[in-house]
Amino acid sequence: MPPDKAFRFSARLLDGQTVEARFAIADGYYLYRDKVHFAVEPASAGLTVPPLPEGKVKEDQFFGRVETYRGGVVVKLALKDVKPGQQVVIAAESQGCADIGLCYPPTVQRVTLALPEASVIQNTPSDKKPWFN
Amino acid sequence: MKSHLRRGLILGVAALIALAAGAGLALWDRPPKRADALFALSLPDTGGTRQSLEQWRGKVLVVNFWATWCEPCREEMPEFVRAQTELGPRGLQFVGIAVDQADKVGRFAQELHLNYPALIGGYDAMEVSQGLGNHLAALPFTIIIDRQGRIAETHLGPLKPNQLRSIVDNLL
Repeated sequence: MPPDKAFRFSARLLDGQTVEARFAIADGYYLYRDKVHFAVEPASAGLTVPPLPEGKVKEDQFFGRVETYRGGVVVKLALKDVKPGQQVVIAAESQGCADIGLCYPPTVQRVTLALPEASVIQNTPSDKKPWFN
Repeated sequence: MKSHLRRGLILGVAALIALAAGAGLALWDRPPKRADALFALSLPDTGGTRQSLEQWRGKVLVVNFWATWCEPCREEMPEFVRAQTELGPRGLQFVGIAVDQADKVGRFAQELHLNYPALIGGYDAMEVSQGLGNHLAALPFTIIIDRQGRIAETHLGPLKPNQLRSIVDNLL
């Protein structure tokens, strides 16, 4: 199966600045942890990527200790400098292999997200305010 | 009666169209017979010297697309080294095209005592492989070319040693 189906990327906004990025990995396929990278377009939006979840450790004869993901992996990304209503693209690079003995070169998948309009964002904190009062 | 005839005729025409479409698809799916796109490639080796694949025309050529980050690729390569040693004198020539960085390829080639050229293809090499039947753009992908420059076999995924031997034995 093509890499964008084997390692299906999706992203959704949890709030005006937080993106939940997810790879759904098909059965019999795995991703290399150190080959998963995220970026935002435009770059001016800025992206904070936390340390990725630990994967399953595997000893590779050539590369030594490598970590892999199976099933899926979810990462919460933070947008640093975005305006309400702005559109951003989350680009996710990944590289992995199939147990049947195939590997895919790094591929980039993109998801476009539209940030909520100002009115929606203004409403959100007021909804949450009572927790902090 | 007439309507039966008409229905029969329509079914007949539909069957013919389906047959023609099937044949067209089969032809479309078949890898190109000639390896000209490969012979036209000129790629740097690990030392940076450009090597044209044309220099190996006339040999039974096994072109293997691989990378150091591809474990199944690395696993099948010792067998390629053995086959190059044993069958090289009879006219077999392996050429590896690595979709990778030259330093990593050089280090791995040294570790494995690679006895055939390791060229650096980059991602543009993947496009050539896609044009020659690597529909998934995955590795390893191997193309076996006869002495007349025709593609005898393309294979996605690791080649079993006996599979490789039986294909090249027929061509040598």
